[in-house]
Amino acid sequence: MSADYWGFVAAAYGLAVVVLGGYWRALVRRERRLDSLAQRRTP
Amino acid sequence: MGCHVGAPHVMSRALGWLAVLVLGAGLVMGLGVAPREVIQGNVQRIMYLHVPAVIVAQYVAFAIVFMASIVYLWRRSETADAVAHASAEVGVVFMGVAIATGAIWGKPTWGTWWTWDARLTSAAVLFVMFLGYLLLRGMIEDRERAARYSAVVGIFASLNVVFVHFSVYWWRTLHQPPSLLRPGPATVSPSIRWALLVNIVAFALLYVYLVTKRVRLLRREAELGA
Amino acid sequence: MTYARRAWIVLWKDVVTERRSKETLNALVFFSLLLLFIFQFTLGDDRERLVAALPGLLWLGFVLSGLVGLGRTFLTERENDCWDGLLLAPGDKSAIYLGKVAGNLALMLVVEAILLALFALFFNVDIGRAVPALSLVLLLGTVGFAAVGTLFAAITAHVRARELLFPVLLLPVEVPVLLASVKATEAALAGEPLSAVAHWLKLLVAADVVYLVAGLLTFDALLEG
Repeated sequence: MSADYWGFVAAAYGLAVVVLGGYWRALVRRERRLDSLAQRRTP
Repeated sequence: MGCHVGAPHVMSRALGWLAVLVLGAGLVMGLGVAPREVIQGNVQRIMYLHVPAVIVAQYVAFAIVFMASIVYLWRRSETADAVAHASAEVGVVFMGVAIATGAIWGKPTWGTWWTWDARLTSAAVLFVMFLGYLLLRGMIEDRERAARYSAVVGIFASLNVVFVHFSVYWWRTLHQPPSLLRPGPATVSPSIRWALLVNIVAFALLYVYLVTKRVRLLRREAELGA
Repeated sequence: MTYARRAWIVLWKDVVTERRSKETLNALVFFSLLLLFIFQFTLGDDRERLVAALPGLLWLGFVLSGLVGLGRTFLTERENDCWDGLLLAPGDKSAIYLGKVAGNLALMLVVEAILLALFALFFNVDIGRAVPALSLVLLLGTVGFAAVGTLFAAITAHVRARELLFPVLLLPVEVPVLLASVKATEAALAGEPLSAVAHWLKLLVAADVVYLVAGLLTFDALLEG
């Protein structure tokens, strides 16, 4: 019976959340920037 | 706000929420419902992240890059080019997560952050191949030329996935004693299988959502000349 | 003008240019000699380790020289503004690809043969009986490099930071070919029959075929502009 490395489990899940969430947020930010760009071009 | 109207946007948001839902279910199953694994202990729960990420990146994302690249060269469809680009990007992100979680799993299990086992090595090679693909795209200013060149590279990279698998697997398993600690589920407990399945579906949905969002962004950027 | 003739002309042009200047060949042989020295300084004292590492060292040498040689494939075309000449060439442009691959293959094989001889000489390794098997392995492996390398060289020819991007793109793709070649070379040098590494050889053949076909089919798309 091996010890439970919950710290590692938390680190792995945390990393996944940060990376995937971060990528998603980058996409959202990019979309918002495009929105404002498009708005400025078509008053 | 912006022109967030129309069916595509509604569908995209619905897809996003669906992905979140299934991811949540996967989380519950992976961390709670699935039993504590006998040999490895709770560290095995990292596999519910590692395995889906690898599977979706390899068998879905990079396969789509292959098909979209061929479609682009054949039809010169800008949407196909955008799909290839987006799929490679999301694939690289998922692969990065797969490698990192694999390493985090490996430290307590094998005592080392990195091990040149078949799966991690293959993942690393695939990761670098498609990272190079993205690098190439970033370095060509002309949109049309970038599409053509990266389609060719994309085809070679995706074709190569098969060769990488076999060669790395043979390299690691032939003339070497069978490893007891192979990555992946060691038991065939049904609830572990279910947890894996749910998480795979969750990652697949997330992939689709992210790629469609990214494709939309790429098309809009192209139209606006941004 | 037939397809084969067009490919032959490209090959012949490169061979003649190289024979006249010997620029690339000289540089590559000299480079290989330097590698030899480096290997001796780092591994030379422990002969057992050196012999064990020999297959890997050989292919390391082949790959490094190959990168230099392949990276220069379209150099003359680019520097002398001949690129448009390639674009305007009539007919199936994949003949150019075939000619270029053949030229690169020939150059790499010559360098490899020289490097192999130098290794055997300086490290006092008897490779006599292994030569037929080694020749086959070197041929199969080098085709795999030349096929993809020529294509990627054309791609990176017009890209900024091409000296960086070329190896970054090529090396990960060549991992299977490299693995298979080193393993087969290991067997050949150890005097094992090639049937012992049949799976590696089959992988090399499959990869060579796939890469060449893919290259022939996609080269046209690269020359559009």
